[in-house]
Amino acid sequence: MKILDPRIVREDFPILHRKINGHKLVYLDNAATSQKPKQVIDSIKYFYENINANPLRSVHTLAEKATEVYMDSRKKIAEFLNAEQDEIVFVRNATEAINLVSFSFPFKPGDRVATSYIEHHSNLLPWLELKAAGIKVDVVGVDGNSELDMAYYSKPRKDLRLVAVSQESNVTGTINNVKEIAKDVHKNGSYILIDAAQSAPHMEIDVKDIDADFLVMSGHKMLAPFGIGVLYIKNSVQPIMKPYLRGGEMIKSVKLDKITYESPPQMFEAGTQNISGAYAYGVAVDYLKRIGMRTIQNYEKGITRYLYNEARKIEGIKIYSGKSRQYGSIFSFNVDGLHSHDVAYFLNKKGIAIRSGFHCAQPFIEDKLHIEGTARASTYFYNTKEEIDIFLSELKSIVRKYGRR
Amino acid sequence: MDDDRFYQLMEIYRNPEHQGELEDFDRSSEGYSSSCGDRFKVFIKLEKGRIKNISFRGDGCVVSTVSISKVCGYVIGKTAQEVEKMDIEDIKDLIGIQNISVSRVKCATIGLETIKQALLVGHQADL
Ligand SMILES: Cc1ncc(COP(=O)(O)O)c(C=O)c1O
Repeated sequence: MKILDPRIVREDFPILHRKINGHKLVYLDNAATSQKPKQVIDSIKYFYENINANPLRSVHTLAEKATEVYMDSRKKIAEFLNAEQDEIVFVRNATEAINLVSFSFPFKPGDRVATSYIEHHSNLLPWLELKAAGIKVDVVGVDGNSELDMAYYSKPRKDLRLVAVSQESNVTGTINNVKEIAKDVHKNGSYILIDAAQSAPHMEIDVKDIDADFLVMSGHKMLAPFGIGVLYIKNSVQPIMKPYLRGGEMIKSVKLDKITYESPPQMFEAGTQNISGAYAYGVAVDYLKRIGMRTIQNYEKGITRYLYNEARKIEGIKIYSGKSRQYGSIFSFNVDGLHSHDVAYFLNKKGIAIRSGFHCAQPFIEDKLHIEGTARASTYFYNTKEEIDIFLSELKSIVRKYGRR
Repeated sequence: MDDDRFYQLMEIYRNPEHQGELEDFDRSSEGYSSSCGDRFKVFIKLEKGRIKNISFRGDGCVVSTVSISKVCGYVIGKTAQEVEKMDIEDIKDLIGIQNISVSRVKCATIGLETIKQALLVGHQADL
């Protein structure tokens, strides 16, 4: 396997060279959004200077070129997930993808849907909302190690139509065995939606191997620009889905008394799409593939392990993540006696960017961790061991100076 | 904010004035910041249209805790109308930080907002 040299890849990320408060930026807020390589940044400029046109309808050269790059990106993302091209729907982000499914899936009153305690609000609220339509909503529990209650999924439930679960938690880093869950869910005759917003940037995903029915991701967490994301819908599931937004580009024919919709993915892509974003998403995926997802995962495992080993030696902090059997590059913690915002504030003064607060997972943080939020450092493949050292040393200094005495 | 100022604030944060629950109060309200999880409850005792006594309970960051504590001290003796007129500029003076960054404005103002809310609910007449 290739070994990743972060010094080389860092050259591709202009922002990593800037200074914050007089210090070298140490960007450890990758779970919120990743930084972008110049290949992706340049591609947006290239698109508007050379390709820009409204795709799919007009026949002139630029429109055809825009259509071509749009389709080409779809193909790249399909390959990235081992999916078919017509299984890839472009959306704004993971949130929109989940909302789309919650709307377009043919739920009937009395049906049951399952989400879990470990979910981001975007994989929780659209399902909780369904209660109003007479749909029962189960929130699957987690144990003290942030492991999902797997027994829930293996129990047959007649009324359970859909299970929504994340592949990686953005608070605890827990990596759920979605393949095993999918197997159980399908045995029960239900469908599964996998929130891969946090996992897709860091690991190889094969929708066929997992046997996902729906899978969602956000481009901006995996090198692409804001405002472009993907909803994978398995071919065999597509016919049961009804359209989401209605308008141009998603219809075959319109008579005032009869509308014939395009088949997916176009059926779900009403209106002019974020073509430059989709184009740049394709470039981002090319970039990730060139390095290799396994190489990325392997490298990140190394620095994450190092971060945890060193952090566990620090007295005066509590660590909330990394307790599950498998976990990703997320490190959630608190300094005893300090609010997470204040920890983030101190770190920022030294150029270190982390996230603090609820991370859009309020029920989990309040009901399960019984705290008011966490500080969260999250790495990506361009972070170096030296940066982890800077973070750890600053963290120690904060504990010494301001922690509970 | 320089380190020294923050250090002073930390001292206040660990032992803020006006923390606790009033046994005898006329007004109470709860304030909550969804982004950070700060949660405060204020208790207000009124007399002749003015705040006679006030306290708060809850958890927050340094900025929100120091702010609510300082605002509590400042509003004693004031009317609801006077409190209603207060804003972030008053808070800057009270906590001694002029450059509150965008992400911390919510922290700085949650205390004042909660107090304003407590004063608004119920009958305006008895103030
Ligand atoms: C696990 C998980 N799901 C969903 C989302 C929502 O992503 P977006 O805000 O891009 O829609 C996030 C973002 O933080 C996430 O971490």
